[in-house]
Amino acid sequence: MVSTPRERKWQMVVDVDRCTGCQACVVACQAENNIPFNSESHFKQGRTFSWIRIERYWEGEFPDVKARFLPFLCQHCDNAPCEPVCPVFATYHNNEGLNVQVYNRCVGTRFCQNNCPYHARFFNYWEPVWPVQMRNSLNPDVTVRGRGIMEKCTFCVQRIRRAELDAKRQEREVRDGDFQPACAQACPTSALVFGDVKDPQSRIHEGLANKRRFRLREELGTEPNVVYLSKVDSEAKEAAGHA
Amino acid sequence: MKTTRRKFLKWSGVGALGAVVFGGCTIPERELLVQSPAQLPEDLVSGLEAWYATACGQCGAGEGVIVRVIEGRAIKIEGNPDHPVSRGKSMARCQAGVQALYNPTRLAGPMKLAGPRGSGQYQEVSWEEALAEVAEALGFQAPSSVVLMTEPLRGTLGMMAQRFMAAYGGQHIAYDALEQTTLQAAMKQVFGTDQLPDVDIEHSDYVLSFAADFLSSWLTPVRYNRGYGEFRQGGEARGTLVQVESRFSMTAANADQWVYVEPGREGEVALSIAYVLMAEHAGAINPAAVNAMTDGRGAPALQAFNPASVAQTSGVSAERIREMAKALADHPHSVVIGGGSAGATTNGLFNLAAIYALNHLIGSLGRSGGIIFNPPSPVADLPATAKVGSFEECQGLAERMRGGQVKLALVHSANPVYGLPASLGFAEALGQVEKVISFSSFMDETTAFADLILPDHVYLEAWGDDIPEPGPGYQVVTFQQPVVKPFLNTQSFGDSLLKIADKLGGNVKQALPWGSMKDALKATAQKLQALNRGSVQSPSFDAFWNTVLQRGGWWDIAHKGSKPPAPLPKLPTSRMEPRFEGPAEGDAFFLVPFASHTLGDGKGANLPWLQGIPDPLTTVAWQTWVEINRRKAMEEWDIKEGDELEITGPGGAIRALAYLHPGVSEGAICIPTGQGHTQYGDYEIGPDLFRNKVGTGRGDSVFAALAAAKVEGAGALAWAANRVRFRKTGRNIRVAKFEGPVYPDFHLIEEFVPVSKPGSSL
Repeated sequence: MVSTPRERKWQMVVDVDRCTGCQACVVACQAENNIPFNSESHFKQGRTFSWIRIERYWEGEFPDVKARFLPFLCQHCDNAPCEPVCPVFATYHNNEGLNVQVYNRCVGTRFCQNNCPYHARFFNYWEPVWPVQMRNSLNPDVTVRGRGIMEKCTFCVQRIRRAELDAKRQEREVRDGDFQPACAQACPTSALVFGDVKDPQSRIHEGLANKRRFRLREELGTEPNVVYLSKVDSEAKEAAGHA
Repeated sequence: MKTTRRKFLKWSGVGALGAVVFGGCTIPERELLVQSPAQLPEDLVSGLEAWYATACGQCGAGEGVIVRVIEGRAIKIEGNPDHPVSRGKSMARCQAGVQALYNPTRLAGPMKLAGPRGSGQYQEVSWEEALAEVAEALGFQAPSSVVLMTEPLRGTLGMMAQRFMAAYGGQHIAYDALEQTTLQAAMKQVFGTDQLPDVDIEHSDYVLSFAADFLSSWLTPVRYNRGYGEFRQGGEARGTLVQVESRFSMTAANADQWVYVEPGREGEVALSIAYVLMAEHAGAINPAAVNAMTDGRGAPALQAFNPASVAQTSGVSAERIREMAKALADHPHSVVIGGGSAGATTNGLFNLAAIYALNHLIGSLGRSGGIIFNPPSPVADLPATAKVGSFEECQGLAERMRGGQVKLALVHSANPVYGLPASLGFAEALGQVEKVISFSSFMDETTAFADLILPDHVYLEAWGDDIPEPGPGYQVVTFQQPVVKPFLNTQSFGDSLLKIADKLGGNVKQALPWGSMKDALKATAQKLQALNRGSVQSPSFDAFWNTVLQRGGWWDIAHKGSKPPAPLPKLPTSRMEPRFEGPAEGDAFFLVPFASHTLGDGKGANLPWLQGIPDPLTTVAWQTWVEINRRKAMEEWDIKEGDELEITGPGGAIRALAYLHPGVSEGAICIPTGQGHTQYGDYEIGPDLFRNKVGTGRGDSVFAALAAAKVEGAGALAWAANRVRFRKTGRNIRVAKFEGPVYPDFHLIEEFVPVSKPGSSL
């Protein structure tokens, strides 16, 4: 019997050099987390829900043009700017390094969204609706968020929880590879690697040790738990800052 | 204890039972929002889940998926980690399968036309009546006047459709809007095989791709994306990808170098590379191949393709051509592939044959990091390659329909009315057919002509199998099992065929002796079991059958494909000029259509997830857009983003919203396929005030602008052989796109996101 489970800290490594911008993670996330459909007007109003999104940056003009892709999700910052501004403690940091949103506490002030430097939080301006048949494929492990609630990437906390329960039932520790968040599981190029940094066996250490490592807006001191590995390009201009 | 409503909700919100209770009946929307006020999200206890392995039916690649099923409902699709093609990975289109299953516009049961054709008035009939009517129609008509149109079929269902029509005597055409018949013809010429090529990207160190958008839509994107990840960061050295294409595709965006080439000139560039290889890198290439392919003359045979002269027509500089040739010679695991628009001009076959012939020179056929072919099917009469009817055959069919020679058309999962260029007049031709019977799951443009509809299951409810092509280079049979009970009163196409055969009797019944699709599949499984090799082996059939279903298929890693023993092709010594339909010169633009990343040939247009996913490059969703050169649009043409343009092609005029694209040449415009359905499910999604339609009523289809031009020698549709003009209609519509200045400083990539130089990568 495992008495006290090992301390855990979840992190993700995003290898931008592998990412092709294919959007598999985006749909996987929508499917797993009961995210409302993005209709045409969501796009036109700039209010799409996308817990993970692919940002695309243009560089140059024809014929010397480049497009770069960057997968973007909640960075689960250790010093999360969204947390201290919540008047009702709807967003808090748990002991596994996750930045968690408690929907039932949220009163929709949107202070957290305002304070997030990564635009990782999404506000439900509307009641979510699904055609009645399509409710069949809603994930029963994930709460459907109502109007007036803030939501964001949870690192698929329901999968973490399930893996922990399964491990507990089998009287063992959670092993690397027991589960992956939906985005990392789908990612066909394996650009996303998720793991527990407190687990020395975790595959994530390979990525964390990479020299191409950088974190988004590191200068803000948010201490993100999502680590990026930079794109490799022989024609790149001298990069400022890191790398 | 009295159970109050409040207590009941509290209790059911914690367990999965909540989902069962609420999923099963119609209740107000807000009652779905159940969360315990006391417990945090991380404390939620989850119900039991089951995972079933099956085959993906979304894009035709035939890879294995696993489906998460809770309380009889399909919740989530993932790649099958055991399956050799997907290895646990999936793309957006695979994920969206549950939306096809639970689509509100699925045809609910068999029905019969109750008004004039095209009126959409149908009345329900029983399966017995419907099947009897099909059998009666088949018995009444002369077999030569009957045609069966299906999607490309492999495996057991492919065998059944072939046998059915062979025994009955009618014609079977597999229709695919994005047909690979030119590629198949090129494979025949260059490698002497009908199969589609697989590319061992993960072990390659230099991939030269001519317009094959393999990261987005070409052949089997899950497998290629998986390979690409390893190609970049999996091995010791990072591979180099060069994309030669007239459009800035997703693959071009990910390439180390994108080389713009004038449409239809890809073959010239390839032959010019061959010339440089022979003239300057003779030591690094296969001398026997040089001899055989040039009749012993070597480089002088290709004098017409010297880089200086090719540079003038192709827009690719002589220096670039030399660079690519040198790279091919220098890298021991280089490979050359081609497809997409390179094979869709009138000289597409010439282009693809020239492109793939380079593989003989660099010796990449069958070697690590090269071109791989599947071995033959493990079961003799199980087709491993889908025979696809070319555009030319469809044209012939339309002629026969117009001439009244086709009396009965059976259609299954094929939508030629939408996918064939409007200029062919297939819709009008189909209208001449006495009786049209559809087996489609959805109302679409072709099914709208049907007098009788016998709706098929969605693949998640049906039995079946598939042989992925291109496969991994060894024998694979993917098994498809129902993961949920049928949602509606539908019946799988295989079962319908068998029941019709029963009613017809005679040699048709003899050709299809099985009682059900499941029995037919079991017969296939028995043959696999008898081989006594591969991933699943068992003396007991039940054990074999259960294991095959559990693992999602059968494969034999040891049974690899061999190099097709064909004589080497001769390289052409003179050019083949591409011809373009539409206005000749002057202010006309090349029209480069491309397969939508998510909607494919239009099949995905009724699924909200696929509609609502931004295009990887333009980030536009839900609309048809036209990519035009950004600088010219701003400086000369006075076009802003969202200006509606009327694009007049040789086949007709369509409208699309302008997207100012930095990667489009000044002489071309690019339009995605997929939208513009007039019949493809009519339902709305979104919050009350902002509901929008899915499927129909969304933009125009680029197929409507195309001429009925053909690829010479292959008979395929030359969809990239059009010149068009465009004009502003004066309307400006806001483009539904994802990109936008959320935080303006975010988009200064140089300051914000570092990029590494090669060498610092490891």
